[in-house]
Amino acid sequence: MVGVGRAGPLGPVPLAQDAVSSPSAAAMAPSPRDPDREERDALAVLVSVPGVGPATLARLIGAIGSASDVVALARRPGAATRLRAAAPSRGERPGGVTDEVAEALIDAAGRSDEIVGRVRAAGLTVVTLEDETYPARLRATELPPLALFVRGSVAALSARRAVAIVGTRSATHAGRQIASQLAAVLAAAGATIVSGLAIGIDGAAHAGVVAVHGSTVAVLGGGHDRLYPPAHARLARTIAEEGGAVISEHAPSTSPARHTFPRRNRIIAGLAEATIVVEAGRGSGALTTAVWAMEQGRGCYVVPGPLGAPTWAGCLELLRECHGVARIVAGPAELLTDLDLPDDASAGRDVDAGAARLGVPSVAAVLLELGPTARTVGRALVAGLATPDDLVAATDLPVATVLAALTVLEGRGLATSAYGRYRAAGALAAASPGGRRRVQRAVPGAGRGR
Amino acid sequence: MLATVNSATLHGLDGRTIRVEVDVAPGLPGFTIVGLADAALQEARERVRGAIRNSGFTHPARRITVNLAPAELRKAGASLDLAIAVGVLLGSEQIAPGSGRPAMVGELSLGAEVRPIPGTLPMVAALARRGVRRVLVPAAALDEARLVEGIECIGVESLAEAVGAIRSSRSRRRVVPPSRIDLGGAGLAAAPDPPGIEREGWPDLAEVRGQLEARRAIEIALAGGHAMLLVGPPGAGKTLLARTIPGLLPPLDDAAALSATVIASVAGGERIRALVRRPPFRMPHHTTSYAAMVGGGPRLTPGEVTRADGGVLFLDELAEFSRDVLEALREPLEEGRVAISRVIGAQTFPARFQLVAAMNPCPCGMAGTDGGGCSCPQTVVDRYASRVSGALRDRIDLWVAMPRLAPAALVGRDEPEDSATVRARIAAARARQLGRRTGLLNARISGRELRTVAGLDAAGRRRLVELAEAERLSGRGTARLVRVARTIADLDDRPFVAVEDLEEAARYRAFDARAATRLAV
Repeated sequence: MVGVGRAGPLGPVPLAQDAVSSPSAAAMAPSPRDPDREERDALAVLVSVPGVGPATLARLIGAIGSASDVVALARRPGAATRLRAAAPSRGERPGGVTDEVAEALIDAAGRSDEIVGRVRAAGLTVVTLEDETYPARLRATELPPLALFVRGSVAALSARRAVAIVGTRSATHAGRQIASQLAAVLAAAGATIVSGLAIGIDGAAHAGVVAVHGSTVAVLGGGHDRLYPPAHARLARTIAEEGGAVISEHAPSTSPARHTFPRRNRIIAGLAEATIVVEAGRGSGALTTAVWAMEQGRGCYVVPGPLGAPTWAGCLELLRECHGVARIVAGPAELLTDLDLPDDASAGRDVDAGAARLGVPSVAAVLLELGPTARTVGRALVAGLATPDDLVAATDLPVATVLAALTVLEGRGLATSAYGRYRAAGALAAASPGGRRRVQRAVPGAGRGR
Repeated sequence: MLATVNSATLHGLDGRTIRVEVDVAPGLPGFTIVGLADAALQEARERVRGAIRNSGFTHPARRITVNLAPAELRKAGASLDLAIAVGVLLGSEQIAPGSGRPAMVGELSLGAEVRPIPGTLPMVAALARRGVRRVLVPAAALDEARLVEGIECIGVESLAEAVGAIRSSRSRRRVVPPSRIDLGGAGLAAAPDPPGIEREGWPDLAEVRGQLEARRAIEIALAGGHAMLLVGPPGAGKTLLARTIPGLLPPLDDAAALSATVIASVAGGERIRALVRRPPFRMPHHTTSYAAMVGGGPRLTPGEVTRADGGVLFLDELAEFSRDVLEALREPLEEGRVAISRVIGAQTFPARFQLVAAMNPCPCGMAGTDGGGCSCPQTVVDRYASRVSGALRDRIDLWVAMPRLAPAALVGRDEPEDSATVRARIAAARARQLGRRTGLLNARISGRELRTVAGLDAAGRRRLVELAEAERLSGRGTARLVRVARTIADLDDRPFVAVEDLEEAARYRAFDARAATRLAV
């Protein structure tokens, strides 16, 4: 049983499986005797037990030895008493084993093959705290999850630069715009964007990264089989396909619940070197993510909203109460400076190099592929947010031609529209300095001083 | 003695001839009306009594029985008043019948004046179909009644005048109609078109500054008869733009004018002097009830959808209309008519209206404006949009977002086109559509005929597939795209739909289709 990769038998490395399927190995050991694999399977089983969190697991493993020992113990008669004795639930220490948890552990141990089979069938990679591929930033936090279920690229979790973008689910249009633009700019500068796949700011941030073919990590509040919110199923798929990752600390069948989201928020903050709160009302979960990030000594940046806007009240509160720790987002360019990320625009018109790194063709190349009218309209769009009236005035083309050209641009992902206003998108937006100016303008209050 | 007078009542949009039989017999004084008469008709007894007395005649102190034949038909309204009063006078031998025996319709006042009634036109037409030669009508409705060919109409102001007309066998006014228009057997005299159709009171398109996409869309919508929805914040000019529609619609052709005149007659209100050539433009308030929108009520009166037949139904603040009212629009939008069933019977009214609607993008109205003017969360915005059901959205061909424009765009250097110029283009495009074999506007032609009519070449078909795939269009959505593209080509007088037409048409597709392709909610 040599040559089992660290990614493990549940992971993409099929060596262990080959070994198992060879007749001699099967004859010698009906159940595979690979310690790495056994430990990983046991962890997958244990984390799927309701009521067992990292604290309980840590105490059980500490008292009994390893995850596979815990599972083995749970299979033996009289296990309930011994499990309870291993981690008594009395006293101040968190993570004790109650009668119900003991029952659930015994039940899960009995169904361990089924549980492991389900993870394998879902095509998920399990990364445990012991693995080298476990993200170092997350390991450095308090009580990191013992196992992560990953769909997509495990390497994306350990990207050199990673920034979290979070915010309210009841986002305004302006907030979503900011989230998606900041995400696109940071991704274009080489950072992986971490968020929670939720409706609102989270979704806008992920979508902003996907639009420029950057890397993004979505942390789920439930299991992979209970993807929440269902409306973002396609987004989740796209993230995994585009080289990012969708991860969960929960077994695939775990339903998302009220109490699972605060822990999800800790993972988001833990995976990133800094957390940006784009838009958050009072009591928003995004604020707990930010506070957790600061407690772990990570950076925290807040987009200041207008006074009196309820969906920005939490942001302002955070800036006021964490004065000196939480920093303000003054604009995409300033944010890049603060995060010490390369700013292509200031680095001497190095936009095409930045775009090339992400495999995005340059503006000039993109425009060349278009017909003459689409090119003219595309050029006018790069100059800024526009109504059809503005574009007709700028191009001197008939309105019918401008509208047809916008369809061509939108079809190629180079323009998007909302409520009759058009803006450059994709390659046209990511690589254009105009894209950054627009973000500044879209930040409420940012343009007031001009 | 028994007296018989011909008259008519209104049933939906149709007139029905009624024989009024009045028996004045000895016995205990009384006045009975039989023959399924409604409340207004029962009250005719009091009006007739007063009118007879106040015309210098005597109301007979005998047993009066009025029978309205055919007996099984429910009768409503006051159009039989005049006939009942004349029947009583004839039956009590206070007057002698002349040789003409005219039919008569009209409501009486206690002072014996003859008042106009809704639906004079279809009632007179029904009498003409039955072969009646002369009819007495309220003087105020004479112009309207004279639109019917083949029947002599005499306008009377009072019961006394009506009596005079019966006594004289000769007609006082004879009208010879110049031409024939068919109205279910009876002809209508086409009155000459009034000099220039009335367009006063409505804004001219030249008053609308900017909003080029919406201006273009309204031209396409009116040219092809497409249903259209304008979405924009308050002050973007949605209502102003919609109110230019009466000035942009070409006049109705003969058949449509006839139908419009009948509907206007039944709806009452305005005095009709000639065939109604101006296409109807109805803008019911968003608090309008189901019955007022669809039609119905105790007398099966036509609703807004019927009153907009042949013209435009403009629903401002679409999302504020009650769900029931909006759902009720589905049938007429699809079928061009509306069927109403009530206790008193079932009726099918024409409802070939073109829907133009306007709404805000969100409850506060400011979504999409600069500087975070909107405070509505996305979920609230989505919920607001979903107040308009998918079924209704599906039937809207053109969706137009109207952003609030910057002052610079409103001042503008160029003078915008006026209504007359655009109207001419619309009329020409319509003529091209109606001249085709189908003889229908593009919005109404079937999917199969659409393919023939569009004449897409290989490149066009390829582009159509691309656009349909990119937008995840349903079959209906794809047909909608081609329909609108066809109208764009018609406006440009091109026989075949070009790739650019499809691309422009794709701009007017539903916003919720765009939302479906959106990755993040």
